[in-house]
Amino acid sequence: MPSYRSWLARRPRGGPAGPAGAPDPGGPVVTVDHLTVAFPHRTGSGEVVRDVSFAIQPGERVGLVGESGSGKSLTARAIMQLIPAPGRVSGGRVLLGDAELGADTRLRASSWRGTQVAMITQDPLSSLNPLVRIGVQATEMLRFHRGLSRAAARARALELLTAVGIPDPARTLSQFPAVLSGGMRQRVALAIAISCQPRLLIADEPTTALDVTIQAQVLDLLERMTADQGSAVLLISHDLGVVASFCDRLLVMYGGRIVESGPTAEIISAPAHPYTRALMASVPSMTGELPDRLASIPGSPPAGGVWTAGCAFAPRCPIAAALCRDADPELIGLAEGGRTTTDTAARHHAAACHASHDDSWALVAAGSGAS
Amino acid sequence: MTDLMTDAAPVVDVRDLQVHFKIRRGILATQTVRAVDGVSFTIAPGETLGLAGESGSGKSTVARALVRIHHPTGGSIRVAGAQTGRLHGQDLKAYRRRMQMVYQDPYDSLDPRMSILEAIGEGLAVRGVARARRRAQTEDLLRRVNLPATLTSRFPGQLSGGQRQRVSIARALAVGPEVIICDEAVAALDVSIRAQVLNLLKDIQADAGVSYLFISHDLSTLRFMADRVAIMYVGRLVEYGTSRQVFSAPQHPYTQALIAAVPDVSAGAASARAKLTGEPPDPANPPPGCPFHPRCPAAIDLCRTVRPELRPKAGGQLAACHVAPDEPGAAPAPATPSGSEVTTS
Repeated sequence: MPSYRSWLARRPRGGPAGPAGAPDPGGPVVTVDHLTVAFPHRTGSGEVVRDVSFAIQPGERVGLVGESGSGKSLTARAIMQLIPAPGRVSGGRVLLGDAELGADTRLRASSWRGTQVAMITQDPLSSLNPLVRIGVQATEMLRFHRGLSRAAARARALELLTAVGIPDPARTLSQFPAVLSGGMRQRVALAIAISCQPRLLIADEPTTALDVTIQAQVLDLLERMTADQGSAVLLISHDLGVVASFCDRLLVMYGGRIVESGPTAEIISAPAHPYTRALMASVPSMTGELPDRLASIPGSPPAGGVWTAGCAFAPRCPIAAALCRDADPELIGLAEGGRTTTDTAARHHAAACHASHDDSWALVAAGSGAS
Repeated sequence: MTDLMTDAAPVVDVRDLQVHFKIRRGILATQTVRAVDGVSFTIAPGETLGLAGESGSGKSTVARALVRIHHPTGGSIRVAGAQTGRLHGQDLKAYRRRMQMVYQDPYDSLDPRMSILEAIGEGLAVRGVARARRRAQTEDLLRRVNLPATLTSRFPGQLSGGQRQRVSIARALAVGPEVIICDEAVAALDVSIRAQVLNLLKDIQADAGVSYLFISHDLSTLRFMADRVAIMYVGRLVEYGTSRQVFSAPQHPYTQALIAAVPDVSAGAASARAKLTGEPPDPANPPPGCPFHPRCPAAIDLCRTVRPELRPKAGGQLAACHVAPDEPGAAPAPATPSGSEVTTS
């Protein structure tokens, strides 16, 4: 593959390329600060990610939950600087350590992708190059970033493929992605993604295309491999069950905004936003008595890009009042009552809902729920 | 709900269904893939039978054999008492009116060039509804699936995924079927929309008394929808019983693993995911004996050589497993050289 050779030849000279702009080891791996992503739109603002802020600490496992169009994948892509044109980051910034992506000259895309942040996607058939043998794809990051020789990179790739449970790694290296099953492809993608020990691994719906038994295997593997390396994980999924079983902390997105965030156990035991509550109720449980009907959310998720004043969930919300249609609620910590900053959002349960900060509203909600 | 043994007059009665495919291996050699290999089940009027299994287990092939997209290699399919194995021409068309299918992806199954009126009207035409009355009836059907009647002039590209799937359901209903096969019908929908469509399917069943063959890999959805459940593994049923039997006391180790692997929101972060090692076998080369034995935590020597048949088990359901204890009082297992091991684990 000439393109790969020439690309490898462009590797920075002078030995292994270390992580550029060594980040402050004490601070967060990634800070997303008032991020807004917009696509050109005829009538609306075109904003599909709106004022999203969060930080991920080293080794932390954070889940990003939402339906299609909620902006969860575009948030991840903004971190990777892979927003598809004509979309663009129209506001806010993303920091890797203390360096701002796109502004800091220490961060050239070729130096931080893979070493600081790596990503696996839903279908590795689309992220792996179908025309290139796995051996080439599994070694290119090691050769480019770590400056390993062909033989050393191959030896390391063999170790990694063994570690992710590929039965015959030597044979797999000579194969093309298409001959592998979905579960095996995802294992290969994971091995490649962690080959340069990224500080953050973004996993965008990594198990959605897999069977449930294979899903459990891949989640276990993801947990083990990232824990071994101390990598933080941002797990993106529409499946609250998957995210809850894996993550320390959750971010729930709706209509391009984070509507609830906090420790997993707190959100699961006491969801504060009506959307989170509805999302949990609309999934049939595997235990206990079943209702005759599932609690469903009327209407459809917003299309995105056109926002009216007020809460994006208000048209579907069972407890929405006039205030909800007039003013978009901010993400506010539930306990302290103060405005949530990027820093506090990391630790505390917060919700963007007028009702969740108003005790009298809770009575209204309880009343409407009973009727 | 319906007990396993007391199906009075099932609307669908499938016995020993086999669907084999010949595939090419090399230039001259062909090989037979037993995609479905001896599957039997019944569906009572107004009942939902859930069919679960991993990809490659043959669950969609069963559905396709039922609507005769695939021709069965062996066995029989009776619908409302009539044998349907050798239907052709008009008879086959008449048969398909009784059995409709809703597919996973409404983006693929609706013709993008047909308006909603045309798509649903086609089904009405099959039932013999006069052209003049089709618009009114299409609007009725749209209302039945909770869509505005004004959608008739729209095209599939203008609808959301949830709306499209409702149109697919309305189109299936237009023909007036007795059985609707839902093949992963809600898998592609968002969680909040999925709940709406599941509720809708239940409402339609209560209204029209249709039966469903509900195929899904999502066990929590099946638990909600199905009266009875069949679990498939590499072309055969491995467990078959009422929803309560199968979900509260699964007998087959594969069913147990499937249920344990479902991530449950309420279980929280500390829940241990059950680890089923390995992948489903290649249907073209299933392992000898019980096809599940290479992945089975409870496998004994017998499992490696003798394929277990579906037998009544302790919970009352049927399971194909040497290790799971038989129902007390059931006929003794067929004599095998190591028959004494059958009931010990």
